[in-house]
Amino acid sequence: MANNDSNEKRPGFIRRIWNGFWSPSGVLSLGFLLIAGFLGGVMAWGGFHWALEETNTEEFCISCHSMTKNWDEYTDTIHYNNHSGVRATCPDCHVPHEWQYKVKAKIMASKDLYHEIIGTIDTDEKYEDHRLKMATAVWTKMKKTDSRECRNCHSFEYMDFTIQETRAAADHQKALDEGKTCIDCHQGIAHGLPTGYLERYETVAEGLEAAK
Amino acid sequence: MLDILGTIAGNILSLPGILGLALGMMTRNLLVAAILGGVVGVAETYIFSGFDFARVEPLDLAIAIGVGVIAGCVGRAIRVRGATV
Ligand code: HEC
Ligand code: HEC
Ligand code: HEC
Ligand code: HEC
Repeated sequence: MANNDSNEKRPGFIRRIWNGFWSPSGVLSLGFLLIAGFLGGVMAWGGFHWALEETNTEEFCISCHSMTKNWDEYTDTIHYNNHSGVRATCPDCHVPHEWQYKVKAKIMASKDLYHEIIGTIDTDEKYEDHRLKMATAVWTKMKKTDSRECRNCHSFEYMDFTIQETRAAADHQKALDEGKTCIDCHQGIAHGLPTGYLERYETVAEGLEAAK
Repeated sequence: MLDILGTIAGNILSLPGILGLALGMMTRNLLVAAILGGVVGVAETYIFSGFDFARVEPLDLAIAIGVGVIAGCVGRAIRVRGATV
């Protein structure tokens, strides 16, 4: 085999790796390769999953300077501090649970990284200027999905309207009848709202309605 | 009893079992395989106790090492049986 005195040209490095990869193994049995592949697969998948979960924590979100303003606003709200001590964290509201949507959200969030580097929202002033645009993106997502992330925790079916305050119960009954979704009425549930948010929200809702 | 069974199963499906087996498959030397497996067992217990040896349960540690050692040896057996190198 190691017959280097033939004048055939030695293939390049990448070519040799490629050929080696696709040649049958002379030294490893099929069983060995299957078990090794299985173990490698388990470890690769476990590592991938672990990394994905690491980027799905509140600590990760607010590790970015750009996200600390949201954090400050959110810590004044009911989803951070309430009588039962149950919390909703950033990913609870902003990252879907369902695998395909979750992966999509994670990939789309790579634009966060780009904007962090160019500093799109690195001061409070810039943040406020940019807020309506970002909020619009979130509203569009939530309206489209019938507020899927809210419904991971809340559900009309299990609300006891008799112990809700009258206005809430009445509006929720109306929402059920008219097929409205949480974000239609509960904008600004976790963050400050920009001026002109109602008009913008209506445009979003009408746009989606028209697209149907 | 169930507690111990659960701990053993947890270790088999976690680092000592999986990584121990994989490391064992990388050597033909029984002693090296056993030690590698045992090291994984210690490392895992240490990591999952939040890097605090004071919080390590001796029984948990023993089971993790045991599973790691066995996995390493099984890995070594696969290597000897399934490969000529
Ligand atoms: C790398 C820093 C960084 C991290 C980490 C980060 N963000 Fe962002 N995020 C940004 C920047 C910068 C923007 C502004 C992007 C833009 O203008 O579109 C942004 C925008 C957003 C928006 C606005 C809506 C949108 O989709 O454009 C939401 C919601 C958001 N981030 C949520 C999160 C959540 C939840 C996490 C944690 C899972 C997170 N971010 C982690 C930097 C970051
Ligand atoms: C992780 C679970 C979770 C998610 C996700 C979540 N919530 Fe909540 N929500 C809670 C909890 C817990 C409370 C507080 C209950 C209590 O202790 O009073 C709450 C309270 C509320 C309240 C009551 C406010 C008040 O002042 O009494 C509203 C309104 C609300 N949520 C709307 C929403 C909307 C809209 C969304 C989606 C954007 C959402 N929630 C997502 C868990 C969640
Ligand atoms: C038609 C408008 C409307 C819709 C749609 C709507 N809500 Fe409400 N909701 C209200 C009003 C108004 C209140 C009472 C004022 C307040 O607390 O903000 C309220 C109150 C609440 C409360 C506090 C109830 C209490 O008495 O403690 C919760 C929780 C809540 N909404 C969750 C939701 C969730 C989750 C959805 C979507 C599944 C939703 N709402 C959809 C209008 C609406
Ligand atoms: C209870 C659900 C909920 C939680 C928890 C939550 N958000 Fe939001 N977030 C929303 C909603 C709803 C919007 C859409 C804008 C609005 O209505 O305020 C939004 C909008 C945003 C925006 C767009 C800009 C803006 O201010 O409107 C960013 C960025 C953002 N969230 C980041 C975060 C970060 C970071 C955290 C964690 C510290 C977080 N969110 C926690 C529901 C939530």
